[in-house]
This record gives sequence, structure tokens and C-alpha cells, in this order.
Amino acid sequence: MAIDGLIVLDSANARPIVQTSFRSFPPAYPLLHINAYSSAVAKAVRPEDVDPVLLVTLPDEPTACCHLQHRSLTFLCPISGDLDPLYAFTFIRTFLNILIEYFGEVTAPVLRDNFDIVHQLLEETLDAGGHPLTTAPNALRDIVLPPSLISKILSVTGVTGPSGPSTNNLSAFSSPIPWRKAGLRYNHNDIYFDIVETLDAVVNKNGTIITSSVLGKVDVNCKLSGTPDLLLTLTNSHTISEPSFHPCVRLNRFAQSKALSFVPPDGRFTLMEYRFDPSASKPGAAPALTAAAAAQLQVQVPFTLRASLSITDHGGAFELSFTPRAGALEDVAVELYLGSGATGATCTCRKWWQRVDVRARAAHAALVPRALRLRNPRCHPFRLRAGYGARRCGARSRAGMRTRAPRARRRYRSRCLQGALLSALKIDQLKLSGETYKPYKGVRGRALGRVEWRVEWKGG
Amino acid sequence: MSGQGQDAKFFQRGKIQEFRQELQIAETKDKKFTKRKTVLKKIVANITMGNDMSALFVDVVQCLGTPLLEIKKMVYLFLINYGRAKADSIHMVIPNFLQDCNDRNPLIRALAIRTMSYIPIPVVLDNLTEQLRHHLKDRDPYVRKTAAICVAKLYAADPRKAERGGFVELLRDLLVDSNATVVANAVAALSEIADRPDGVVFKLNLTVANKLIAALGESSEWGQIYILDSLLRYVPETHADAELIGERISVQLQHANSAVVLTTIKVLLYLMNYMNNRTLIEHICKKMGPPLVTLLSSGPEVQYVALRNILLIIQRRPTVLKNDVKVFFCKYNDPIYVKLAKLEIMYRLANEENVKEVLAELEEYASEVDIDFVRKAVRSIGRITIKVEAAADACIRSLLSLIETKVSYVVQEAIIVIKDIFRRYPGRYEGIIPKLCENLDALDEPEAKASMVWIIGQFANRINNADELMDDLTYNFLEEPIEVQFALVTAAVKLFIYKSSSDPVKALVHKVLKWTTEEVDNPDLRDRGFMYWRLLAINPTVAGEIVLSEKPAITNDADRMDRGALDQLLLHTGTLGSIYHKNPETFIRGAAGRALADSPALNPLSRQVLVPVQRSGPSAGPLVVPGPGPIEPGTGPVASSPLPLNTSKPSPPLPPDSATGGLLEGEGSGGEEDEDEDAGFAKRRSGVGAYPVPTDPYASLDTAFGNRTQDEQMDAMPALMMPFI
Repeated sequence: MAIDGLIVLDSANARPIVQTSFRSFPPAYPLLHINAYSSAVAKAVRPEDVDPVLLVTLPDEPTACCHLQHRSLTFLCPISGDLDPLYAFTFIRTFLNILIEYFGEVTAPVLRDNFDIVHQLLEETLDAGGHPLTTAPNALRDIVLPPSLISKILSVTGVTGPSGPSTNNLSAFSSPIPWRKAGLRYNHNDIYFDIVETLDAVVNKNGTIITSSVLGKVDVNCKLSGTPDLLLTLTNSHTISEPSFHPCVRLNRFAQSKALSFVPPDGRFTLMEYRFDPSASKPGAAPALTAAAAAQLQVQVPFTLRASLSITDHGGAFELSFTPRAGALEDVAVELYLGSGATGATCTCRKWWQRVDVRARAAHAALVPRALRLRNPRCHPFRLRAGYGARRCGARSRAGMRTRAPRARRRYRSRCLQGALLSALKIDQLKLSGETYKPYKGVRGRALGRVEWRVEWKGG
Repeated sequence: MSGQGQDAKFFQRGKIQEFRQELQIAETKDKKFTKRKTVLKKIVANITMGNDMSALFVDVVQCLGTPLLEIKKMVYLFLINYGRAKADSIHMVIPNFLQDCNDRNPLIRALAIRTMSYIPIPVVLDNLTEQLRHHLKDRDPYVRKTAAICVAKLYAADPRKAERGGFVELLRDLLVDSNATVVANAVAALSEIADRPDGVVFKLNLTVANKLIAALGESSEWGQIYILDSLLRYVPETHADAELIGERISVQLQHANSAVVLTTIKVLLYLMNYMNNRTLIEHICKKMGPPLVTLLSSGPEVQYVALRNILLIIQRRPTVLKNDVKVFFCKYNDPIYVKLAKLEIMYRLANEENVKEVLAELEEYASEVDIDFVRKAVRSIGRITIKVEAAADACIRSLLSLIETKVSYVVQEAIIVIKDIFRRYPGRYEGIIPKLCENLDALDEPEAKASMVWIIGQFANRINNADELMDDLTYNFLEEPIEVQFALVTAAVKLFIYKSSSDPVKALVHKVLKWTTEEVDNPDLRDRGFMYWRLLAINPTVAGEIVLSEKPAITNDADRMDRGALDQLLLHTGTLGSIYHKNPETFIRGAAGRALADSPALNPLSRQVLVPVQRSGPSAGPLVVPGPGPIEPGTGPVASSPLPLNTSKPSPPLPPDSATGGLLEGEGSGGEEDEDEDAGFAKRRSGVGAYPVPTDPYASLDTAFGNRTQDEQMDAMPALMMPFI
């Protein structure tokens, strides 16, 4: 039950930036995994299509290599035992989140600049045997000093600043609660709740919703002193189903009273994730599971899209009309994948539509837009006409002789933002016990829509 | 390596000198040890970049006396890296180790024992064993938790010493520690020890299991995973125990960490084997569905692992996600491996009620742009046609409409599946043959072409111009790929049997057989040619009976996994085994096999299919596990036959490569059934991703069924080969 180690690669040249020492393995071990990963990427049509769990056939023993991409970085996590790959993935995610906590933007140059900190973090989060050690960000902050302007100046001038891992400050380890250190102090005791709901839907060409689901997430930024014990009650909590919680939430308590009782970690964390189930809002609804499929249809997509697309040998033309349903949508983007040979798109759009071409990522097709993306910062009903040119390109058929016009996808993907929550979930009350102060509570909710709209496709 | 390597070495030596000097300077005048800190930082950076710094051993070790944690940490890091290589000078450090082991600061105590446990040298280990005993009872939980892991390391270095020192017992005592993290680490250490081939047995009883569950609430997510996983070592004695524990851990399904959720599901699936209460089992199954679905809203890598596991789980416990087929509909920006995994599940979940939706969705996918995905979608339509009889008409309609798109790879894929549909529903859809024949020119892939040729040969009596078509098709006979050649030979013979009076047909058959026997290099094809020729020469009527004999209808039975194998695989839920649908001991060395343990509480049904655990030797040869992507030619057969039978089985007369091609036709008697089930889906090596075929785990389990299966296979083998000998 332990991973072998972690390698952080620069995706641009597949060279390691930081890696654990792999002490109990042959020296070539990490390199073999890096090679296996890069050759798999080279083989794949798109880098994101590589299997996330690669089987690496080493001469003496096959192992698996879990990998995860984050911007210009690739995290590799070799595992040689029969281990849960999710364990590796969650560790990578956790480590990535720690890096984000420390550096904000996590890119290859940032990691190179802060090499010593990254390495210390790696040493503290993963012991040489592959067991995660301290992964709670606030406990780590005690051991590894985050980069700050002061520490930089101090290191340049050569003066020792506040001695980083102070030997007598062991609050991180003496705390009985693994995710919260003891003895925190804040001048203002604030806690902010940020509820984001994401609508994921697929709409077919007749405008009927095929699948839709609403996932909600409660992010918290907690700046409270001491060891507060919070009790959070929600209104409309019956509309949420399948909740999953941060380890700090007492699960049994939620099962009894639908209230969240927890001692929060310090700083940012995700308190809860849930699914919005509109069928549950009606009293006496059928059992959740059987009705779920039917009920999901009730979540309305907040806009309608009428679109047609016709494709000829030398390009195509499409027409798009967008009508928001009631409510204030904020930031709308529509994206259409034009096929791998598309050359350039022209569209007549009014000023509130910005055109953003998503260019092909492959180097050899650097100038060929593969997808057309339109953004509308405000949201007006709108009609749009556009056309694009296309190069005929060799189909990937085995004979390799035929050519065909690039095929645009029959899908529009659109994203939009809305100020109000879909589930009408509200935070009712926040009770604090264990401390004497009264915290300030801030709540914000917004909804995000990701809709795939299928359209008719003519010609070919 | 010559010039550049030398340069690098030279460069390094210079650096080492430089560091040494800096360290020496630092010794004299170093306010607050800043200088030492900087040098050590540089050294550590060099170590992590792979430069050998071991020459500095003596100099670095001198810094150990510095009462600064940061410096100690870096020196220890240095020691971990080079301690083993510098075994002869390690004795210099021992006093420092011992001093730090008794430091007032728990962080330093823990650091010291941790470092010692990483240096598996007798001197160090001897001293460690002395110290570790106290540290396992240290009053600081951080030290205890570190000590627990150190025991596992000690055990790995010297099992005897660890056992003699009574450390395993001490670890067991930690299982009931008051601190949850300590408990979790003790569990992790014990599991690590028990998973070693020479390790001790680690089993839990009800009291300890309950204690562990109580510690779940306060542990970190990693600790929870260790604890939950260790619950698989608890064998319930009564139904009630299993049910109670199942209920207690089921709250963990609401955990935010996906690994915790999947481990919980694994334990629940395991415990269900020991439960008797139907309603409770149903209830737990229902509870497992939503968290699994929730995993699908995470990143693609988590989705992939979840999907592969869902595929296993729904085969054993179909109620888990019975009504949720829509959740598995593909989003257009899903990575291809997620899409393919979803398709497989959609196929599994398709039944008479939801087939309409599924079919509409698959048709939609068939118009997508990813070629691999489109092929797999078309193939799924074909598989559903075979699985759900009620939907066959609708499926055929949609396949025909797909053929009309004239998109080359769609047409080819459709023809491949239609071949199997003809086998499944004989006499129902032959009316569409003319439509298929219109697309003859579009076929450029061997598999599609071979399928079309099979159709023409099989139904030559219904196709008026079959002889003309065959004449066209055989025009380039010698240039065709081997599987098409096989198909052509057989089709020509079938045509001859149907239309033996026609002169052009006679000429055609003669021409083809002559080519086969005289100009073809492939021995199997040549043998097949000779065989047909003789059959036809000796007695054409008998030849007709053999070649056109009744074919057993295709079923999807081969898709289903054996219950016992499935139960065993489910014990590995979430692990590599479940990703590749193979028992891990067959492809990961050192992986311990897991099996359901018998107990009075074991379900009678589960006991029936109980597979005893086997510790397999090193697997024979490299094993290639097919991922969900396209399978490269040549890797397929290896993957599907890691049979440990090679000694007991007469070696097949055909090399596996051509055997598949040869059997593709699947006429004759004996091995027919065996072959056809697979030929439909599993063994396709050209074309799109045959999934890690469902028959796989089965294959790797062969020895597990004892001699019975082996004998059967021995019997089956000669029959399978008969037509070719």
C-alpha cells in the first residue's frame, strides 16, 4: 500500500524537474517510467488521449505509471505493487494543491525557481517508503516556509530571518486533529462559503435534454481562531443528494440531522460536494434512484441554441442563434470543433461576440484553427452566420489513399455563468461552539453551465 | 559517453572540492550556521539532480552536531542517500543517531529513527532495534506513528531480527492506540509486512476491526485508506458481524476522497459475500451507486479508474447502477479512454427497457470524428443487436443507415458486425445482403474485407452474381493480407459447393486452390488449401456437409465472467488488477493473491464458486495487457493467452498468429463454438480496440479450477485442430 515515488516532469521536454529519490529501486527506474510515458505520448494522436494508468513492462517486473497533466507539468507516479491507482492520483492531486497553495500559479519555471521549497515539500509529504506523511497545508506551513518577499530578501542579504521550522513550535504535530493545527490566532474571525453549481447537460438536435446533472461544491475559506466547532444548517437541504464531505465533517451527524458539524481546517478547503436532485424537492416523490433519471430532465438549460451546419468539400457554413431563457447569464462562450483540416473561419459577429480561435496544439498544424470559440461577455439573444474554409486532408484509413473533407463535429459546446444557484440551497445558520468570539460569515453562490448541443449536419 | 561524460565528471569533482572548502570555512566562523545551511542546500540540490556527492560524506556528517533542525534534516537526507554505500564509515554517525533518538524534540527523535530505518546496514539496524522499542511507546504520537512505519522497514531489511525482537507484537499493540494516525500507520506497517511472501499472517478479529473502524473518523484520508483496506483481512464469522461492519463503514461512501470511496466499496463488496440479509444487500448496493456516479464528475484519470471498476462491479452486482445508463453517455470532450470505457458499460447496461435511448446515443457517436471511437460505437451497436433480441430490427435499421453514410471506416465496421448478426439470427436479415454488396469497393481493411467475403461465401446461393463478385475479389488474391486470403479460399470452396455445375465457378475454385497450394508462402494457408482440395477431390458431398455444416448461434456468453473469478477480482477493486481485469498476481510480481476466506458466514452461492488462493510463480514471459485503445497487431494473442498450461498441453500445430486468421472462418466442427464467441469481439486484432477482453481473467485463472478445466481443454484441443490436420 505505498506508491514508489513521484516525478514532476516539464511537459515541454519531458525532463524531470523534481523527483523523489526512489531509494529502494534501481537507478534507472524513474528514467524507465519517464521513457515509457514519453513514448506513449509520442504514439498517441493527442497527448490527452494517453491511458492514465500506463503499464510499464520493465525487464524484471511490470509496473504501472499513473500520470496527470497540469498545464506545462506532468506528474508521474510509478506504482509497483497492486495498489489503487486512485490512491496515486489523489496523492498527486493533493501534492498539486499544496503547490498551488504555496506558489499560486504552478508552472515549470516557478517550480525551478523554488526548487528547494518544492523538494522540501516532497520530502515532507511523501516518505521514502511511499507513504504520504503530512499533507494538510497548514501543518506543512510550519515545517516548510512558503516563499515570501521577506524570505527572499533575507536569503539575498544573508540575514537569518524568523527561523523557519522553529524547533519549539510543534503545534502541527501535537494537535489531536490532523487537519487543523492548534493555537491559531486571527484578528478578524471570518469564514467564507462559496457555493458553485455546475450544470452538465447534453441536448440533442430536437432541443430535448438527453442527460443533465447539477453538481454543487461548497468551497470554504476559513480564518477562525482557536479550535472552533461549527454547526452548519442548510435550508432546502432536501434537494441535495449524494453529498460527499471533507474528512472533517462528522458523517454520522449528517446522517442523523442533515446538519454539518465539523472542526474546519485552516484556510481554503472544499467542504462538501453534492448533486442537485430536483425530484426530491417535491414531497412524496418516488424513491430517488428510480426517479432520478426522469427527474433530471427537470433541470432546465438556461438558454436555447438553434444552429445548423452544412459542410461542403471546401469548407462549411454554420448559423447560430442564441436565446437566453430568463435569468441573467453572464459569460457565454460557444465552441465548435471544425475538424482537423479547417483553415480559417470568418464570421459576421456583432461587437459583443469576441472571437477566440482555439488553435491546434500539434506543432505541424500550428496555424490551423481546429475549433472556433465565440465569447459573449454579456448575454444577448443573437444570430450569427459564419463560414470557414477547409483543406482536404488524408483520412487516417489504412489504405491512406482516400482524401476527405474535414468533418466538423456535430456538437456545440457552450458554457455560461449565472448569478443564482439552481438548487436554491441556502446556508441557514452557522453556530460556533468551543470558542467565544462571533465569526463573520460570507456566502456567495453562482452556477456554471456546460452544455453540449448536438445539431444537424448536412453534406459531407 | 566519452568526451561529454568525462567533462561532467571533472566538473563534479571540482564542485565537490568547492563544497568541501566551503564547509570547512563554515566551521570556523558561522553565525547562526547560515553558511553551512547554504552549502548543504547546494549539496542536497545536487543529490536530487543525480550528481554523486558521496565523496563529501565525512565533511557533511560533521555538521550533524549542529543543533538546528533544518541542518539536521539535510544531513539526514544525505545519509539516507549515501549511508548504504558508505557502510564502513557509518559507525561515525551512530553516536549522533543515538543522541538524536533521545532528543527532547519529538520531531528530531522521529527523524533519527526514520533515517536509521532507511540505512539497512547491520550496525545501524542493531542500534535501531534497541531504540525502536522505546519509540513505539513514546508519549508523542508523532514519534509512535513514525516508529510504526520504521518497523515495516526493519522487517524488510531483516525479517528474523524484527520477529525475534517482538516488533510485530508491539505493532499489534499499536492497533488500539488512542491516536488515530498511529493506528493507521500501524495498520499500514502490518499490511506491508503481511503482503511480503515471507511475512507474518495479519488477520483481524471482530474487536480489533471495530476498534479500527472507530479510529476511521479521526484519521487522515491516507490513514482511512489503510484502515479500510485492512478490513479485507477480517473474516466475519456470522452474518450479523458482516452486516454490522458493512453498515458502520458505509458512511465513508460520502467521503470526498475518491480513493477512500473506492476502497470502501471494495470492502462492502467483500463483506456482502458474508451477508445473508437480502434487503440489506440491496440497500447497500443502492447506496454504492451514487458515489460511483459522483466519481464520474472528477478528472478524467479518476473517471477512467472508476469506469473500469464499475464495469467489474455491475457484472457481479447488477443492481448497483441498473437505472443509470444515461450517466455513462459520452461527453464530446471526454478523452478517448474514458469514452471507450463508457461504451463498454453502456453495452453492459443495455436491456430491453433502455435499448432505444442507448441505440440513439450510439448512432450519434457513429457520426463523431474520432475514428477509434466511431468504430467502437458501431461495434457496440452490433453487440447490442446480438444481446438484446427485441432491439435487433432497430439495430439493423441503424446499421443500414450508417452504411449509407458511405464513410469508409463506418461502413467497414458495420459490415464486420453484420457478419456476426447473420450468425446470431439466421434467416432473418439476409435480405440486406445486396445493400452490403454495393459497398464492396469501399472495403480496404482486412477484417472488413474478410467479413464481407465470408458473407458472400456463406450466402452464395442467395447472391445471384456471387461468382462475379468472387472473381473480382480474387483478382488480387496473392497481394491480399493473410486473413482475407483465408476467407477467400473458404468462400471459393463454399461457392463451388453451392454452384458446382457452373464452369466459371469451377475455374475460380481451381485457380484459388492452385494459388494457395503453389504460390502462397504461409504454411497454414497452404495446408488449408491442400485440405480443401482433397476434401473436394475425394467426396464433394461430404465436403459440402463439413464446410457448410450447421453453425451454432452466436451468444454473448463469452462476455460474461465466471462468478468465482469475478469475486476474486472484486477483492482487488480499485487496484491495478481491476483496471486490467486480471488477477494481479498474474502480472505483478510480489502481489499477493487474494481470495475469499471460507467461514460459516460465507454465502452458499459465493462458496460454490470459491477460488482457492494460489501463489503463482514468476509469470512466463513478458505479458502485454491490452488497454482500451487500439491494439497493435501481434500483441493481442499474447495478452489473451497467458496460460500457464504450456507444459501440459500439446503445443498447437499452428502459430497463434495465423491460427486466429485461420479460424476466423470458423467452419468445420469441434472448436467452432469456442472460436466464434471470441471471433465476434474479443480476438479482433486489426480494427479498433478490442477491450481487455472479458475472457482474459478467466484465462489467467485456468490453473485455479484445478485439473478439470485442463482436461477439458486437452480434449478440446485435438477437436479444434481436426479440420486442419
